[in-house]
Amino acid sequence: MSSLKMKSIRKTYPSGSSAVYALKDVDLEVRPGEMVALTGPSGSGKSTLLNVCGLVDTPDSGRREIAGQPVDGFSAAQLTELRRRHIGFVFQSFNLVPVMTAYENVEYALLLLGVPLKERRSKVWEVLDRVGLAEQGLRLPDALSGGQRQRVAIARALVKSPALVIADEPTGNLDSATASQVVQLLGELTRERGAAALVATHDERMTHSCDRVVRLVDGEIQ
Amino acid sequence: MRWLIFSLKNAIRNKRRSLTALAITAVGTAAVLISGGFALFTYQSLREVSARDTGHVVLGARGYFGGDEDVPMQHGLAGSPELAERLQALPGVRAVLPRIQFSGLISNGDKSAVFIGAGVPPQADFRVRGPQMRFTEGEPFGAGATAPEVVIGTDLARLMKAKVGSGLTLLATTTEGNLNAVDVTVRGIVTVGVPEIDKRLVMTDVAAVQRLLLTDKVSTLSVYLKETAATDDTAALVHKAMPQLEVRTWLDLAAFYQAVRDLYNRIFGVLGAIMIVIVLFALSNTMGMAVAERTREIGTLRAIGTHPREVVRNFVLEGVAIGAGGVLAGMAIAAAATVLLAFAGIQMPPPPGRSTGYPLLVNFSAALYAATGAAVVTIAALASWFASAKAARKPITEALSHV
Repeated sequence: MSSLKMKSIRKTYPSGSSAVYALKDVDLEVRPGEMVALTGPSGSGKSTLLNVCGLVDTPDSGRREIAGQPVDGFSAAQLTELRRRHIGFVFQSFNLVPVMTAYENVEYALLLLGVPLKERRSKVWEVLDRVGLAEQGLRLPDALSGGQRQRVAIARALVKSPALVIADEPTGNLDSATASQVVQLLGELTRERGAAALVATHDERMTHSCDRVVRLVDGEIQ
Repeated sequence: MRWLIFSLKNAIRNKRRSLTALAITAVGTAAVLISGGFALFTYQSLREVSARDTGHVVLGARGYFGGDEDVPMQHGLAGSPELAERLQALPGVRAVLPRIQFSGLISNGDKSAVFIGAGVPPQADFRVRGPQMRFTEGEPFGAGATAPEVVIGTDLARLMKAKVGSGLTLLATTTEGNLNAVDVTVRGIVTVGVPEIDKRLVMTDVAAVQRLLLTDKVSTLSVYLKETAATDDTAALVHKAMPQLEVRTWLDLAAFYQAVRDLYNRIFGVLGAIMIVIVLFALSNTMGMAVAERTREIGTLRAIGTHPREVVRNFVLEGVAIGAGGVLAGMAIAAAATVLLAFAGIQMPPPPGRSTGYPLLVNFSAALYAATGAAVVTIAALASWFASAKAARKPITEALSHV
């Protein structure tokens, strides 16, 4: 069973009286434990493909499956439920909630799933420990470095053991030493937890750490 | 609880903005509570004045309350002592007082003036009237005086050049249509705070008035109760027990009270509506800015699986937290003002048509506090809902790219 399966995905954006293709008949499959790098020049459609794969955007046509479950025709509420249960996100700018501590940011993903307090506490500290931030768990994001914030974001994405992790330029705002650590950590954690990862990146180190590289040019997989 | 803590944290995220909204809410709440409390005090005072003036329940013969009389006491009430005895036996009745309304001329020998008189029982009538009738000279007339005694209004006393002990003559039309006169002695001079009444008021013993008018009837029987709240029940009881008579409550006869109440309800209603709109704007502005600033955060929360309704719920909780904080602060301000005014002894200037002011007091009403608090918190929730509902439904990709 694939964690992610895309078939004949098309997506256009209106441009004046015509339409611009962002994705043209894209087929993509990512298996559990597999980390796939998505590369391509700016404007090639990487972000659009990530959004469509992460169920935050809808394609014009094509079929999508997440964790073996076809999602076409799902309502917005059903898609939200699927994202809640099966998809973790890592953003370039970390996107942590500033009023929540590192612990609370990670815990939020489990709160949405209604995980009981005791289990939640144990899982959050475990994953924070795994990303090396057990001692910084009660700090607010502002008190953390960029690398630490991205590790919190990775912990938030993976604490619920999702089927799929969508990462958009996760090393884009980090220095090279920190970026290497983050790449390594993301790879290790996704494999450990049997999650598939689709990572949009321009970073060469990132692509080397991935199992496969998919290159997107003008909305088509090369 | 977790969501509430999360919302509280967000509320203090921009302290100055939240405090400004909280302060505006507090001032609005306090203004509504203080003005509403003042209105309630005014209603209560006027209610007491009206009830003390007429009695809580007033009985008259058929036709008495409806129209003019061709001759005095045409619609008078016969057999009042027996009726009074029966009424006095009813539960909750404090006093039953016969009264005669009459009018005529009062003279000091040199000049005459029109008076509006009331025949009342000695002593008892002045006791039930309480502080609304203030003696400036003398005292209430007593029973068993050799010559009839009167209490007159201050302005009438000035007009008649009368003092306590002065002799005056009352001239009135009898029930048979003839003129009759009686010499009286001034026993007291009073003011009720209304110049138009103080200029005409004459009060004397009901028995003296009956002799003057040549009647054994009275105009009305006024029933005074221990509790004003029992008025309607007692009126119904009296009506059932004495169906041949007309029964009115103090409220039926209190035209001034009703007019003031209508006026104040409108004035304070508009004031309350303005305050509510101000609170609505303040909270809408605060929550609108918070939502705009956190659009990207909303996108993130939506992406990781938060439903729009949950996003809205968090903002509503945040708005409610600010609103509730403002309500509590406003209640504290209003309560402090209520206590302060009770001890400050501030007097309001006399209202139009009156010669005496009244104390500036604010009543505490748990119901008013609860209703105002609930209204403001509801407004806070609505303002937050309006501010966040659209943003929560914005496409996630758009929200995430918000700068």
